[in-house]
Amino acid sequence: MPQPKDYYELLGLPRNASVDAIRKAYFKAARQLHPDRNEAPGETELFLDIQEAYEVLADPQRRAQYDTRLPPGQRASLPVVERILYSRQTLLRLKEQQLVYVLLNYAVPSDGGSIVAPPLNLCLVLDRSTSMRGANMDMVKATAIQIMRRLRPQDTFSVVAFSDRAETVIPATHNSEPGKLEARIQMLQTGGGTEIFQGLDFGFTEVQRNLKRGSVNHIILLTDGRTYGDEEQCLKLAEMAAAKGVGISGLGIGHDWNDALLDDLAKRTGGSSIFVAQPQEIEQLLIEKFNHLWQVYAEETSLEFELPEGVKLCYAFRLQPEAGLLTQESPIRLGPILHDQGLRVLMEFLIGPQALQKDGVIFLEGQLSLSILALTAQPEPLPVRLRCGLADKAGSEPPPPEVVEALSRLTLYRLQEQARLEAEAGDIDQASRHLERLATHLLERGERGLAKTVMLEAENLKKDHVISKAGGKQIKYGTRSLLMAGTAKDKI
Amino acid sequence: MITCPNCKNQEVPGAIFCSECGTQLIEGASARTHEISTAEGKQIKTSDTTVFPKPPPMAPDSWISLHMVDSGQILTLTERSEFTLGRVAEGQPIMPDIDLTPYNAYAQGVSRLHAVIKLVHEKIIVMDLGSSNGTYVNGNHLAPYVESPLTHGDVLYLGKLKVQVLFGEKQTEKG
Repeated sequence: MPQPKDYYELLGLPRNASVDAIRKAYFKAARQLHPDRNEAPGETELFLDIQEAYEVLADPQRRAQYDTRLPPGQRASLPVVERILYSRQTLLRLKEQQLVYVLLNYAVPSDGGSIVAPPLNLCLVLDRSTSMRGANMDMVKATAIQIMRRLRPQDTFSVVAFSDRAETVIPATHNSEPGKLEARIQMLQTGGGTEIFQGLDFGFTEVQRNLKRGSVNHIILLTDGRTYGDEEQCLKLAEMAAAKGVGISGLGIGHDWNDALLDDLAKRTGGSSIFVAQPQEIEQLLIEKFNHLWQVYAEETSLEFELPEGVKLCYAFRLQPEAGLLTQESPIRLGPILHDQGLRVLMEFLIGPQALQKDGVIFLEGQLSLSILALTAQPEPLPVRLRCGLADKAGSEPPPPEVVEALSRLTLYRLQEQARLEAEAGDIDQASRHLERLATHLLERGERGLAKTVMLEAENLKKDHVISKAGGKQIKYGTRSLLMAGTAKDKI
Repeated sequence: MITCPNCKNQEVPGAIFCSECGTQLIEGASARTHEISTAEGKQIKTSDTTVFPKPPPMAPDSWISLHMVDSGQILTLTERSEFTLGRVAEGQPIMPDIDLTPYNAYAQGVSRLHAVIKLVHEKIIVMDLGSSNGTYVNGNHLAPYVESPLTHGDVLYLGKLKVQVLFGEKQTEKG
C-alpha cells in the first residue's frame, strides 16, 4: 500500500491545526497554485493535492478517519509539555483583594526529537571603551576566539566593537578563514566612551543579514559601563529585534554598568542579563551563555493575554533557564525553552472582588506562541487559561511545595529589590531594615558569604545613605542566582 | 487581611510570604531551610539533654522536663537551675540554652531569646524575655520580664509552639 499523502505537510500545518487555520492555509496555497496563474509543469497536480487535502481536513469526520491512518508518532502531539501549579485551588468570596501565585512549566516533550544543536546566528557586541583596558579586554578577546573556534559551518558569527562609535570587526560570516578573523579580534584596541546603542545597532544589522527561521538569532552584549542618553534608543531597538525573533543578552562586567538597562533589554527580547564580578569569570559565563543557545528547542515564546477587570499581574519572574524579571504587560517574552531545561515562570496575581464570577475566577486568558526550531511548520499557539474555583471558607490544602520553595527564594530577591528602591528614595531606615532581614534569611539558608555582603551594605547604608554599586549588584545577582539554584537539582 | 506573625505587617489573603520581613505565613510545607538548621541545631544544643544514658521520661536528678506537644518528644533538663529557651539563628550572638529550632520554632514564631525557666527556692518559675509573639501559660498571656510560677502539667505557648512542663520527681513529691 502506498504511503498516504501527508495532507498536513502539504498545507504546512501542524497536526493539531484548527479548522480555521486549515482554511486559511488552503486559501493561501490555492491562490499561489491556481492553474489560471501557474503554468509551471507539475503545479496543477500540486493544486489538486491541496484541494484533496483541504476536503479531507476540513471535514471533522473524514479528518478523524484520516488521522487514524497516519503512521504512529506522526499523530497530533503537543509541541511542549505544559504543567501549571497554583498556590491555591480555590479563592475566597471576599470583599477585599487576594493573591494567587502560578508557576508555569513548559518543557520539551519526551519525543521532542534528537538534540541537534540548532544553527546559531550570533553577534558579539563588545565594549572597547577605555575602562575595558587590561584584564577585561584580554579575557573578552580570548573568549571570543574560543567561541569562534567552536562554531560549525552552519553557524553565522559576527563581532562588533563599540566605544563612542561602533565598527564591524567581523561581518556576519560562516567562519571560512578562522585564522584571519582571530587576528582581527586580537587587534582590538581600547579607547573612548560607552555608547551602547551604536554597538547594538551595528550588531542588529549583522544579525539581520542571516536572519533565518530555525536558527537561534542572538546578540550578546558585553559592557562594563553606563551609556548616557541613548537608553531609549536601545530599548526601541530591542523591540524591533524581538519582533524579528532576535534575542539580546547582556553581560555586565564590574560594578559600573547599568543593570536596569541590561535587564530591560533582556526583558523585551526574552534574553538574559548576567553579572560578571571579576574578569576571570568572563570566560565561564560567556561560554555558559553560548552553550545555552545551543540547547534551544523553542524560542520566540510569547505569552499574549488579557486580564479581566479587577485582576492585576503584579509580578512575573523567570526562574529557569536563566533567572530574570519579566514584564507584566502582554505580550510577555518568556525566553527560550531549552532541551535540557524547561521554562519556569512564577507569577503573582492580585484579584479584586469584581473579578469573582459565580463559581470560579478566570484570571488570565491568552495564548502562548512559540517557534520550535526543528520544525518547519510551526504549531498553533497554545491556549493558556488560568482559573481557580471559589469557596466561602479557606481550604486546608497547603500550596504545592514547589511553589512555596520557589516563592521563598523569590521573596529574598524581592526584599533586596525593595531595599534598593527605598534606598534610592532616601528611606534609609526602611532600606537597612529590609537588608538586615534579608541577611537573616540568607544565614538561615547557609548563604554566609552573601549574607555578609548584605550586612555590610546595611551598615554602609546607615553611614553613607547609599547602597554601593558593587554591593548592590552582588546582592541583586546573588539572590537571583539563588533562584536558579533552587530550580536545578537540590543543592546542599 | 492577614497579619504576619513576625513583624505584624498586613498582607493580602493568599500571600505565602510576608513581603515586609520574608517570613513564611502558612504552616506545613515548610521550606528546606528549616531542615538544614534542624541538623545543625541538634548538634549545637539539645545534646546535653538527650545524650543521657537513661532516656526520658525522667532522669533522677532532673527538676523539669519539657514535653514538646506537637512532636511528642521530651527534653529533660538537668544540672543547671536556669535555662533560657529560644532558637539559634546563625550569625547572631544570642545562644539560648535550649535551642527549639528542631521543633519548628521559627515557623511557630519563637524568638531567638524567648523565655527563661528557673528553679528558685524549690519553686519553678517562667519569665518571658520580651519575645515578639509572647509567652502564655495555660492560655494566659505573661507580661514580659515578670516572673510567674509554674505547676506540673502546665502548658506553655512560646509564640505558637506548645510545650508542656513536667516536673521532676523531687519537685512533684513536694508539690
